[in-house]
Amino acid sequence: MSEYLFEMRQIVKEFSGVRALNGIDLAVRPGECVGLCGENGAGKSTLMKVLSGVYPYGTWEGEILFDGKPLKAYSVRDSEEAGIVIIHQELMLVPQLSVAENIFLGNEIRKFGGVMDYDAMYAQAEALLARLKLKDVNVAAPVMNYGGGYQQLFEIAKALAKNARLLILDEPSSSLTSAETDTLLSIIEDLKRDGVACVYISHKLDEVARVCDTVTVIRDGKHIVTKPMSEMTTHSIITAMVGRDIENLFPKVEHDIGEVIFEARHVTCWDVANPNRKRVDDISFEVRRGEIVGIAGLVGAGRTELVSAIFGAYPGRYEAEVVIEGKPVKVRSPEQAIKAGLSLVPEDRKRQGIVPLLGVGDNITLATLSHFARAGQIDRQAEMQVVDAEIKRLRVKTASPELAIVGLSGGNQQKAVLTKMLLPEPKVLILDEPTRGVDVGSKYDIYKLMFELAARGVAIIMVSSEMPEVLGVSDRVLVVGEGKLRGNFPNVGLTSEQVLAAAISHAAEGPAHAA
Amino acid sequence: MQAQKVQQLFVRYKILALLIAVALIWLFFHIKTDQAFVTPGNLSNLFRQMAITGMLACGMVFIIIAGEIDLSIGSQLGLLGGVVAILTVNMGWGTWPSIAAVLALGLVIGALNGFVVTKMRVPSFIVGLGGMLAFRGLVLYLTGSSTIAPAPDDLIALGQGFVPPVLSVWIGAFIFLAMVALTVRRRMRRASLGLQQAATWIDVARLVAIGAFIFGFVRVLNDANGIPIPVMILLALLAVFTYVSTQTVFGRHIYAVGGNMEATRLSGVNVARVKLVVFAIMGLMCAFAGIITVARTGSGSPSAGTGAELDAISACFIGGTSMRGGSGTVYGALIGALVMASLDSGMQLMDVDNSWQLIIKGVILVLAVWVDVLSGSNRNA
Repeated sequence: MSEYLFEMRQIVKEFSGVRALNGIDLAVRPGECVGLCGENGAGKSTLMKVLSGVYPYGTWEGEILFDGKPLKAYSVRDSEEAGIVIIHQELMLVPQLSVAENIFLGNEIRKFGGVMDYDAMYAQAEALLARLKLKDVNVAAPVMNYGGGYQQLFEIAKALAKNARLLILDEPSSSLTSAETDTLLSIIEDLKRDGVACVYISHKLDEVARVCDTVTVIRDGKHIVTKPMSEMTTHSIITAMVGRDIENLFPKVEHDIGEVIFEARHVTCWDVANPNRKRVDDISFEVRRGEIVGIAGLVGAGRTELVSAIFGAYPGRYEAEVVIEGKPVKVRSPEQAIKAGLSLVPEDRKRQGIVPLLGVGDNITLATLSHFARAGQIDRQAEMQVVDAEIKRLRVKTASPELAIVGLSGGNQQKAVLTKMLLPEPKVLILDEPTRGVDVGSKYDIYKLMFELAARGVAIIMVSSEMPEVLGVSDRVLVVGEGKLRGNFPNVGLTSEQVLAAAISHAAEGPAHAA
Repeated sequence: MQAQKVQQLFVRYKILALLIAVALIWLFFHIKTDQAFVTPGNLSNLFRQMAITGMLACGMVFIIIAGEIDLSIGSQLGLLGGVVAILTVNMGWGTWPSIAAVLALGLVIGALNGFVVTKMRVPSFIVGLGGMLAFRGLVLYLTGSSTIAPAPDDLIALGQGFVPPVLSVWIGAFIFLAMVALTVRRRMRRASLGLQQAATWIDVARLVAIGAFIFGFVRVLNDANGIPIPVMILLALLAVFTYVSTQTVFGRHIYAVGGNMEATRLSGVNVARVKLVVFAIMGLMCAFAGIITVARTGSGSPSAGTGAELDAISACFIGGTSMRGGSGTVYGALIGALVMASLDSGMQLMDVDNSWQLIIKGVILVLAVWVDVLSGSNRNA
């Protein structure tokens, strides 16, 4: 019998010829907590989907042993029956159902004929919560009465109700306050003493350092290192996470940087669901004419919230002062933002970028339709002329400009959305993850366009989670972490280690001369 | 690429399919009623019957494309019709000032609905349910639950009169010449901008088809006293609504809002304003429909328009409007209204029992939308 409760050996997972996982090993002893670290896109979620049965046995290569026996999970249910439970980054609770109903969802205690045994469920729910040191919870009250921290613990109770022996926590603290995170970590320590094994996936290395006994780092789908936490430092973890050459796929064009053209002052956003929590906490910065500013940070750091607030599109409560060319402008809606000379290419192309059933041409002119109209009537021919020219200029591959945009590839859709937001001729262009889900060729075209725009004097703000992109394109890099500005680096000899260190640590390192 | 072409063809084909369906329905009833269905007199009646549903469908198709719904339009129709009857009969207003006042009132009521939906963010389904009750209650209160009659003659003429045959011919000729002129102008403009031209034969064939349709339509209805005035109004509305939906900024914004509200908002479009105007237009259409209802029956009945919302909504869906918003056409909705009116008229001629009429209409609505789902045109909506 092996000393491990759980072992993954040489896991390989391919997506249409691309190796997302290339020989990953991961092993956990009973009562041990293993930290799984890696950059965005390193393959952590893919690995978790393999081990939880989301990708059924047989669709990947390698071997999973649980209790020394091979585990062949064809669905999430199979892996849960074995005792493996995942707690996802986004909470998976039904807000309207009671705490007890959520804890036993899909796993209800029944009396005869499918009638729920509420008494038994309430009693067991209370026992589970007591084990998590939660005493002031009314298990019959709806989950939505409780805050994010409690809800995270309810998720753990739900996992324990399934007799979890291996608990996988995917960025569990991303929606928690620091006090709530503290509670969570001490509960994990208790569970370890009870013999429950954990895999803790987090970008927050201070949490990993506190709760984990062993750290495994993966990068680009490959296993890099597994060592006891006592032999690792935050710095050595970061080096292992990043350590790669940045390929030169950035067609950099020299461009002059002029005077300050854009200022954002005191941007603060409050969480939509949890109004006491600040997603963005008093960030101020400026951008110069012809300058490309990259905004780096971890997923959930508040970068998207920051730029949507600047653009007047943040859905919750926010405060922001925007100054363009020295003049304060009122921006409370995207309509006003575009009039003021701002454009935003949003992060989620499908949800926020395209109108799927409209034609490519109609999508391209959506932000500037009134430019083509007299007395409300569209001059179709003038419109089509511009559309044809733009499609050629950006090499958007479409059979016809009248074709519904939903039929295009991701890269071509992104080019069309980009064009749409360029037609208003913005002074400041904000790009949120401009190359997410975009093929290499289209990426190159998009970078080239960015450099051309910068050379023409457009100020560009680019939010990106891809470190090579941030370092390859930006003139200056802002680092955002936990809603705060953690660093402001000129991109001269800047390394990804420096950027990542600033994003992860609580105190900004390096020459942080924040605006 | 190939699949998209096929799908595009399907979307176009859908209208053809609907026209074929109408033809089949007509043929069926024509045979079943011993050739009493496709006659000038019956068709004239049929078109007149469909005019009111058609007016409502014009407004409703915009609402549904914008991703909303309005269930209160039957009651709005009743209320606005009741008001025009009260103004003309009880208060002695002139017909035209009354019509103007009711059209304005319709706009206000529609805008009020739109305000509650967009600014107060109450789901339109609920706003419609509430309005359905409240507006019906209001008309019962205002009329004292009794029918108001007789409507003045010049109002009745609007509902029961005809466009003089000679004038119909002239109007038909004018529309045809205008279509020719527009086509020529567009071709010249495209040529001067160096854009791709549609093949000449396509444009010619299109004009010939339009000409033949106008000629046939005018000819048949002139055999039965001329084009009924409500039908003429509906045709004018069809032209205006088609123009708005295909040629104007506002029209494009309706499709964009319904297709992806978030993307449209982030493109700088004031999505709340677009929706508010769409609801206001719906109110205006209810005013039209209410006035014509009173004019046709010669009286203001407090129960007028009961269930009309269902006919209008069915017409939109039969005509290929997407449930989820973002796609649909005005002429499709009107053909949908024609399908519903044809079923009504044919089954009445055949003396089908009312219970069966309802069952058949219900089944056909579901079947029509099922065929639409099968064609796949709504899949990405």
